[in-house]
Amino acid sequence: MRDRIGAPAARKLALAARERRILVVCGAGGVGKTTTAAALGLWAAMAGRRVLVCTIDPSRRLATSLGLDRLLDTPKRLDLSRLAPDSRGTLWAMMLDTKRTFDTLVERHTSGAEARRRILGNRFYQQVSSALAGSHEYMAMEKLLDLSKDERFDLVVLDTPPTRHALDFLEAPGRLMGFLDASVLRWFLKPYFVAGRLTLKVATRTGAIALSLADRFLGLQFLQDLSEFFLAFEGMYEGFKERAEKVHALLRSELAGFVLVASPVRFTLDEALYFHRRLRDSAMPFVGLVVNRVHPDPTRSQPTDRGPRAQLAADLDARLAQVLEDQRRLARAERKSLARLEVDAGEPLVLVPELEADVHDLRGLREVGGLMLAEAGGGSSEGKARRPRARHGG
Amino acid sequence: MVGLAAVILDQLLTRRLLVLSGKGGVGKSVVGSALALAATRRGKRVLMVEIDTPAVAEAARYLGALPVGRKETEVLPGLFTVNLDPAQVMEEYVRHTVRFEVLARKILDNPIYHRFLAAAPGLKELMVLGKIMMLEEAKDGWSRRPRYDLVVVDAPATGHGLSFLKVPGAAAEAVPVGPVGTNARRLLALLRDPSRTALAVVAVPEEMAVVEALEFTESAAAEVGIEVVALFLNACHERRFTAAQEAEVLRLGADQARGRLADGSSLGAALVAARHHIRRRKLTQFYEKRLRQAVELPVVSLPYLFQDEIGPAAIRLLADRLEAA
Repeated sequence: MRDRIGAPAARKLALAARERRILVVCGAGGVGKTTTAAALGLWAAMAGRRVLVCTIDPSRRLATSLGLDRLLDTPKRLDLSRLAPDSRGTLWAMMLDTKRTFDTLVERHTSGAEARRRILGNRFYQQVSSALAGSHEYMAMEKLLDLSKDERFDLVVLDTPPTRHALDFLEAPGRLMGFLDASVLRWFLKPYFVAGRLTLKVATRTGAIALSLADRFLGLQFLQDLSEFFLAFEGMYEGFKERAEKVHALLRSELAGFVLVASPVRFTLDEALYFHRRLRDSAMPFVGLVVNRVHPDPTRSQPTDRGPRAQLAADLDARLAQVLEDQRRLARAERKSLARLEVDAGEPLVLVPELEADVHDLRGLREVGGLMLAEAGGGSSEGKARRPRARHGG
Repeated sequence: MVGLAAVILDQLLTRRLLVLSGKGGVGKSVVGSALALAATRRGKRVLMVEIDTPAVAEAARYLGALPVGRKETEVLPGLFTVNLDPAQVMEEYVRHTVRFEVLARKILDNPIYHRFLAAAPGLKELMVLGKIMMLEEAKDGWSRRPRYDLVVVDAPATGHGLSFLKVPGAAAEAVPVGPVGTNARRLLALLRDPSRTALAVVAVPEEMAVVEALEFTESAAAEVGIEVVALFLNACHERRFTAAQEAEVLRLGADQARGRLADGSSLGAALVAARHHIRRRKLTQFYEKRLRQAVELPVVSLPYLFQDEIGPAAIRLLADRLEAA
C-alpha cells in the first residue's frame, strides 16, 4: 500500500514543509502528534530552512522527544552539527507559557499602568489565565501571529495541545471569545457592581434570578472579582477580537497548512476523518494525514519461501509461527482500517511504520522524518540516505 | 509468587473511588474496564464513569454492550457504566437548584448561559467531579445501602488530567463561602482521603508515556495533595521465547534464512517478526525497570494484545491477568 499511495501524499507534505510558513499539527491524544511535529521540523531544518517547533503541551512532551530535559518559553536553538554538519538550516524549539502569553496580551491591549494593574492583580484573572477553557488554544493562536512575523524563522511548526477531540483546537478560541464578549457581562454581571456599588437593578428578570442564585452559591467576594475582571476586559475585547480574526485569516491562507495525525487504532482514525471533513468544509488548507506506528506485515518483506522445512526444534518452530501469526493478523486488520479511511477521506495517507526503537531523540526523529518524507525525493539528503533497518512497511 | 497484581487489586478495590489517569492513548478505559470487571467478580457493584467520551470509544463497547451515554446503565451483571456530559450535569444542577421548571428553562435556554458554561474556568470539571461525588454517596431507596461499592473514574488525559484534579482546590480558594465552596471542600476531602479514594496512573512502555506518568505522580502529590497508589503498565510485550531461543533467533539472520515452518509460513518472515518482538520485549523490560526504580509504587504490567479494536474477550483476559499473576 505504501509504495502505491505513499509517494504522492508524502510529496504533498514535503512540499508544505519546504514552502509554507506555518504547519499546525492536530490529532487525538496519544497518536504521536508531538513526535510528528518535531520530525517535520527537523526534516525541514535539514532541508535548509530555519524552523521553530512550538508546543503548548502542558506535559512537556516535545522536550522529551527532542531529547531535552526542559523547554523554555523562548526559542532555544538545537545543535544539529552532528546530524547535519553542512546544513544551512536551523532548528529551534520552545514551549508556550499560557499564563505569560496572556499577561503579555493584557499589557499590549491596556493603556495605562492602572488598568494593567487592575487586571493582572485580579484574583479571578490569576486563577483563570492559565485554566480558562480554551486559553491554551487561544494563546497558541495568539503566539502564532507573532511567530509568523518573526524574522528568525522561515517555518513555524505548531504542536497543538492534547485534546480528547482534535477539533477542540479550532473551536476553543471561539469559546474563549464568547466568554470574554461584553454581552455576557451586560447580561448579568456588570450592573451588579458598576462603580463598585451593589445594586440589584439588573436589566432582566432572568438576569436577576441568575444573579441572586450566583450570589447565593458563589458568594459576594467571588462575584466582585469576576465583575471586576469583566469590566477590565471590556476595553480590551475589540483588540482581542481583531487579533483572533487575523489569526483565523492567516490559518486559512496558503501560508499555513494543517497536518492531521492518527494511529491505526480505529478511534483515532475516526477522529482524523471527522477533522479532515471539518477542514474541508471550512476551506482550511490541509496538507497531509499522517498515520503513525503502522504495524508492518512481516510476510510482505519476506515472501513465502517454498524451500524445505527449516531444521528447528518443534517448540521454537511453533513459537515462531505464533509470533508471526499475531503480527500478521494485526497488520492486516490495520491495513483494512487504513484502506477504508483512505477511501472515506478521499486523500492518500502518509504511513509511518512502527519503529523497533522508541523515538525520543534527534536521531530517532530524523528516522521518522525520513520514513515520512524520504520518498518525496530531494529535500533532506540525510533523510534519504539513511534507510532504517526496520523498514518492512508493506 | 502470589500475584503482585492480586495484592494490589485487593488494596485498590477496598476504596470507594478509583481514579485513573495517564497520557492519551495508553488505554485508560481498557485498564479501567478490566479493573471494574475484576471488582464485579468479587461481588462488588461497580460504576465506571467516563467523561465526555465519544460514543465509539465508550467503555461499554469494550464490555460488549452498546454505548450507554448519560444514563447509568448495567452493561454486565453488577457492572454499570455512564458517560457524563458536563453540559447535562450542569443542566441537572440548575434544575435542582432553581426548582421551578419555567425559570430553569429561561436560564438554560439563554445563549449567554451556554457561552458562559463553554468557557468558564473549571466549571465543567467542578460539576463533573461533584456529580461523581454524588454517585459515590448515592444510596439505594429503602435499604440505604450504597448504590455502588466502587466508582471507577476514567479521568481526562494527563496534562489536562492534573488540571481536572486541581479544580476543587482552586474553587475552594476562589469561592470561600456558599454551597459551591462547601462542596469544593468536601470534594477535596474525598479525593485526599486515602481510605476512600485511590489514584492510579496508566502508562505504556514508551519514553513519553513513562515520563508523563512519573511527572503526574510527582505533581499530583505536590500540587493537589493526592498520592498515586499504583502504576499500570499497559501493552507490555512479554517474553515468548526462552533466552536460548532468543539467541538462536538473533543468530539466524532473516535475510539468509530459507525454508518453511511446520505450518508452511516463511521462516524469513517469522524471523523478522520474532526480532521485532524481541526488540519490543526488551523495551518493555527497560521501562518496567525504570518505573520501578523511579517510584516506590507497585507496578502492574498488562500484556500487549494484538488487536486493533478491543472487545469483551480482551477485557476478560486483562481482568484474569489482574486477578492471577
